[in-house]
Amino acid sequence: MKGFRILVTVIFGFLLVIACSEPQDFDQLDNLEITPTYETSVFYVKAQESLINRVSGLSFFTQDFNFDAFEEPFFAERVLSGVLSYELENTTSKPIEISLEFLDENENILDTEEFRMDAAPTSTLIRNVAYGPTGKSLDIIKNTSKIRLVATNLGDGSSTSNLTNPSIVLRSSAKFTLELK
Amino acid sequence: MRLTHYLLLGSVMLTMSVFAQNKEILYDFNEIPQSLSLNPGTEIDFKWYAGLPLLSGVSGYVGANGISVNDIFANDGVDINIKVRERALDVLKPRDEFSTTVQLEYFNGGFRSNDPSIFYSFGGYLEIDNITFWPQDYAYLIFDGNADQLNREFDLGDLKSRGSMINVIHFGINKKVDRNLTVGARGKLYSGIVDYSSTSNKGYLVNTEGQNNRIATTLDADLMLHTSGFQALDEASDSDTAAGQFVKRAFFGGDLGLGIDVGFTFHLNERTTITGSVLDLGFIYHGNDAKSYSLNGKATVEGIEIDILENFANLNRDFWQDLVDEVEALVPFETDTNSYVTFRPTKLYASIRNDFGEPVNNGSGQLDCDCTAGSSGGAELRTKYRNSIGGQLYMINRPRGPQIALTGFYTRRLGNFLALKGTYTVDKFSYTNVGLGMNLQAGPINFYVMADNLLSYKNIAAANYASFQLGMNIISWGRNK
Repeated sequence: MKGFRILVTVIFGFLLVIACSEPQDFDQLDNLEITPTYETSVFYVKAQESLINRVSGLSFFTQDFNFDAFEEPFFAERVLSGVLSYELENTTSKPIEISLEFLDENENILDTEEFRMDAAPTSTLIRNVAYGPTGKSLDIIKNTSKIRLVATNLGDGSSTSNLTNPSIVLRSSAKFTLELK
Repeated sequence: MRLTHYLLLGSVMLTMSVFAQNKEILYDFNEIPQSLSLNPGTEIDFKWYAGLPLLSGVSGYVGANGISVNDIFANDGVDINIKVRERALDVLKPRDEFSTTVQLEYFNGGFRSNDPSIFYSFGGYLEIDNITFWPQDYAYLIFDGNADQLNREFDLGDLKSRGSMINVIHFGINKKVDRNLTVGARGKLYSGIVDYSSTSNKGYLVNTEGQNNRIATTLDADLMLHTSGFQALDEASDSDTAAGQFVKRAFFGGDLGLGIDVGFTFHLNERTTITGSVLDLGFIYHGNDAKSYSLNGKATVEGIEIDILENFANLNRDFWQDLVDEVEALVPFETDTNSYVTFRPTKLYASIRNDFGEPVNNGSGQLDCDCTAGSSGGAELRTKYRNSIGGQLYMINRPRGPQIALTGFYTRRLGNFLALKGTYTVDKFSYTNVGLGMNLQAGPINFYVMADNLLSYKNIAAANYASFQLGMNIISWGRNK
């Protein structure tokens, strides 16, 4: 057994002598940044002109919607910045005002986004709202639990647009950068 | 806590595991008893042999064909984020693999039957294996995300990974049919300790222009992860009985399987020999502590969609939760405990060898012991020559199809106590894989050591592949030879 031990020592000694490795710095892993940006639609709301005409009063629609997506810990704890993009299309015969209120769990208003559209024909309104270092506070997004949509008819309650299926449509998408590491 | 355990175990399996390592140096190195494990039809001339427990056969291998440790962690002043981008994300493809193998024989032996043409061998070894292919589109999703990539389909089929820790008990028969032909077969009992397998995933994730909203996000998933043994070990760990549970599962208290190895050696003429073997033609039935996770279905969402006219009577409902529920119904994440079957990674070896030079028994270098070259297999002795040269083929069945390695080798025998084998191997890992093996016979004590990819030793961190094998046996050729 002594001979075996000597032999193993010699062989591994030889391998250790010939085996080299350039210096490796595994602490670099601490500097690795993983910050992907994800994009998807958020909400879509459509109100037909026939409905608007049926409702008396200026505000033809007010509704709170539960919206927990931004509150999810995976998102809220990692979000670095982002953009909410809105697209408002009005094919009704009346000017419309849309107000989006971002509410926290206690229904406090964190932020409001207002849109005013002239009566058709009018071009689509596109608005990008940034959050994070170059925009509004991320706390608005992180603490949003509900969205209140208030739609107001600034015109009459009887006219009908000549366009096909006249309506007011609000489209939106979100593009957010997360810090995964 | 359990997740931590899984991650820890997974990391261990990633860093020190077994997958069907190509043992091109050991193959057909028939001075070494362990060559029987690569070809049960190897032509051997021992009366009996006994492997030193836990030291008779130790082998390991780490391979990553597309990237090396040095590529990312070299202390070269380059930002690691740039290195990961340029040397991994922009370069690696779904066929690039990360694989590791460790095999540890805990007992091994063999003896010649009363019929001298028959040799029996037996043994047991622990094997840990892992192979993971580069999950390219998952990596892009994690590092870059899916923003501004309309119509870009992220392939969920890029996830292919599997690994296991098994105990194998085997018994083999080697039969010298005549002077030219030796055949062999080995039966294997597999006892699965832990296993995971996620190799048949399909599907995609894509953003397209929405019909109503700005973007439609579609998830079409057919993903499956099978696991076995993790839960039992985790629970045992919580009650400090992990070692007992491990031993229980290693010795047929876990998953069970069967397999066979077959092989042959045939002399085309006095100096030219062909060999071949098929190993691990078998399966394991995972019916003990199996747990599978699946995500299967298709859903397209455009966010919360509210058509006020259509929903007028029901506007107070929770649209967000309804959306979540709808997606979960369309693409359910499910778990079950149904058993499943995995097939062992079948391997094939073949070689052609030409012997030349003087017979080993001529001249100096003879050790004064009962060890000598030649066959005691009942038929007439076959001469061993000092030199052998030849080529070998290795194939292994992998989740993305068979992989091939070609090896050229030269063996030099110095007397009957020392044999050296040099190899040059070409495979997906390297075109500069030079290996060297040494077998030393000191009386009845046999010792061998082998290492691959020696050129990479000048900077081992930059190597895409490294492997080793070593072992120690006691061999007898019989006193009456």
